[in-house]
Amino acid sequence: MADLLVVDAIEKVYGEGSAATRALSGVSFTVAEGEFASIVGQSGSGKSTLLNLIGLLDTPTSGRVTLTGENTTALGRAGRARLRNEALGFVFQFHYLLPEFSVWENLTMPVQIARRTVSGEERDRALETLALLGLEGLERKNANQLSGGQKQRVAIGRALMNRPKLILADEPTGNLDTANTEAVYELFRTINAELGTTFLIVTHDRVVAQQTDRILEVRDGELVQDVRNDYAG
Amino acid sequence: MLSLKIAARFLKSSPGQSALIIAGIAVGIATQIFVGSLITSLQADLIDAAVGSSPHITLLPGDGASTVPGTAATTASKSELLVATAIPVRTLSAIYTSGEDSVPLSIAGGDATDLGLIYNLEDRMVSGTYRLGAGEALVGTVFAAKYDVGPGDPLELLLPDGTMAEFTVSGVFDLGQATANERVAFVDAASAADALGLADDEYTAIQIQLTDVFASTEVADRLGSDNDVTATDWQEENAELLSGLAAQSGSSIMIQVFVLVAVALGIASTLAISAVQKTRQIGILKAIGMGDGAAGRIFLWQAALLGAGGTLGGIALGYALIWGFSFAPVPFSIRPEPTFIAISAGIGITVALLSSIIPARSTSRLDPIEVIQNG
Ligand SMILES: Nc1ncnc2c1ncn2[C@@H]1O[C@H](COP(=O)(O)OP(=O)(O)OP(=O)(O)O)[C@@H](O)[C@H]1O
Ligand SMILES: [Mg+2]
Repeated sequence: MADLLVVDAIEKVYGEGSAATRALSGVSFTVAEGEFASIVGQSGSGKSTLLNLIGLLDTPTSGRVTLTGENTTALGRAGRARLRNEALGFVFQFHYLLPEFSVWENLTMPVQIARRTVSGEERDRALETLALLGLEGLERKNANQLSGGQKQRVAIGRALMNRPKLILADEPTGNLDTANTEAVYELFRTINAELGTTFLIVTHDRVVAQQTDRILEVRDGELVQDVRNDYAG
Repeated sequence: MLSLKIAARFLKSSPGQSALIIAGIAVGIATQIFVGSLITSLQADLIDAAVGSSPHITLLPGDGASTVPGTAATTASKSELLVATAIPVRTLSAIYTSGEDSVPLSIAGGDATDLGLIYNLEDRMVSGTYRLGAGEALVGTVFAAKYDVGPGDPLELLLPDGTMAEFTVSGVFDLGQATANERVAFVDAASAADALGLADDEYTAIQIQLTDVFASTEVADRLGSDNDVTATDWQEENAELLSGLAAQSGSSIMIQVFVLVAVALGIASTLAISAVQKTRQIGILKAIGMGDGAAGRIFLWQAALLGAGGTLGGIALGYALIWGFSFAPVPFSIRPEPTFIAISAGIGITVALLSSIIPARSTSRLDPIEVIQNG
């Protein structure tokens, strides 16, 4: 299968001079389309830094990230924004919904950013997504009026709206209780199986990682392990 | 227009803040419209009172001559586009005696229709008829009251050559100025010619009104140079009034500039606060793919909406103030100046847009990582 993501010798140094922190030093790996992988490591090891670089939210100090065949390091701000919108979906520990907008508006925001209007097909997709996430009937509610678990599910729905090739999740269940946590991972699995969406999930929870097909371990800014997990699922 | 939709939603999400700034802009624009219209109307009234019903330029006999030909009036009308009216008149001084008192009168003799064009006499009659037949005279209100003369009464005048002439008062006018109403009188052209011993085509002056009163100096220069006449214009004689008006315009412009600066600072600070308040939302929107330009435009739209709302409110409030002023016990009224209001509205919206430049730029430069990393 074609490589969806190629991470090639990326380095990230925060700050300059004596205050410089080397968060990542020469990380390389590839991810194929349809994979369901996790990134683990201790706090401060560089997991979020890595995910943000892959997600084109930040730029590496050196090295390159190739996404769907495009060398993103060569792209300008506009090109990276377009790729974030079309090829990527984000789920963070915090939901990052827009409090001024309704559930429906939050859900369809990536579509509106891409094309200004929501087509009939996209409307159907949004309704399906709401059903899949167990959020039927909440679309008119304000994003602020939902519970924590509901908000996180809307955020997941938003990440799915443009049918991205890759979903990046950074501690997506960090703020949720056990029942909600299990529901979210089940949902990820379903989406991965039904839509073929690739997942890269950052977690410090070994139990969660054990349920993914591949585990990448980061320690002190370096990739120290990359194993297939045949016991998953 | 996603940027516009988001801008409108941001404004709606903090209604108090939005309403305050709209009110601030409205008060600023209303002040501008009111002060601007007040000064413009006041000045128009002052100028109208000064020269609305009197000659803007007077052509007098040139060096060595004692009369001007009537054709000089036609020549002036034909050669200068700005000349609205040019009439030949015969002016003389005479003395009116009543018992102990004697009062000098400044008399203009001419055709009734001609004089009406310059002095607007038809509208200014308060009694009698507007008519100048042979031997008829028109006198002012103050004169009429002081010496108790009215329509039909005789008016005996001592002429410059020492002879007496008798006229009949046909009407009483009000030129709007006490001095003129006491000292000016009009008589028919033939009587004036007799009194001065002038032939049919001999006059003492050509009186001219222009379509643009402020062009008088320039036009007078031209008329005075290529005719056998000397030209005087009203601006020479009213230098004090003019410098007063200029000072007034200057201070009015100062007031308006300060008001605009205050409005601009108000919008700019509100938008800057809003940009800080919405940093998180902007970061999220950028993370899910909104471009820098679209993100910046959110604040441009916010400024445009605030500016448009405030300006519309300001125009309404400005009209209300002008309407309210019509009940004030002052002898003049303010006319709302549509062009001035359009300019104020344009300036208001432009100022709003300009004051959004800084927040719009900082917004378009924001990196999504700044928001995502800091929670
Ligand atoms: N903006 C920044 N400026 C300076 N140093 C930073 C910045 N962001 C991260 N770091 C440093 O880079 C290193 C990696 O941080 P990162 O957030 O990637 O860790 P993490 O593996 O996600 O940790 P956690 O599990 O606690 O979220 C840490 O040493 C951190 O202090
Ligand atoms: Mg982290």
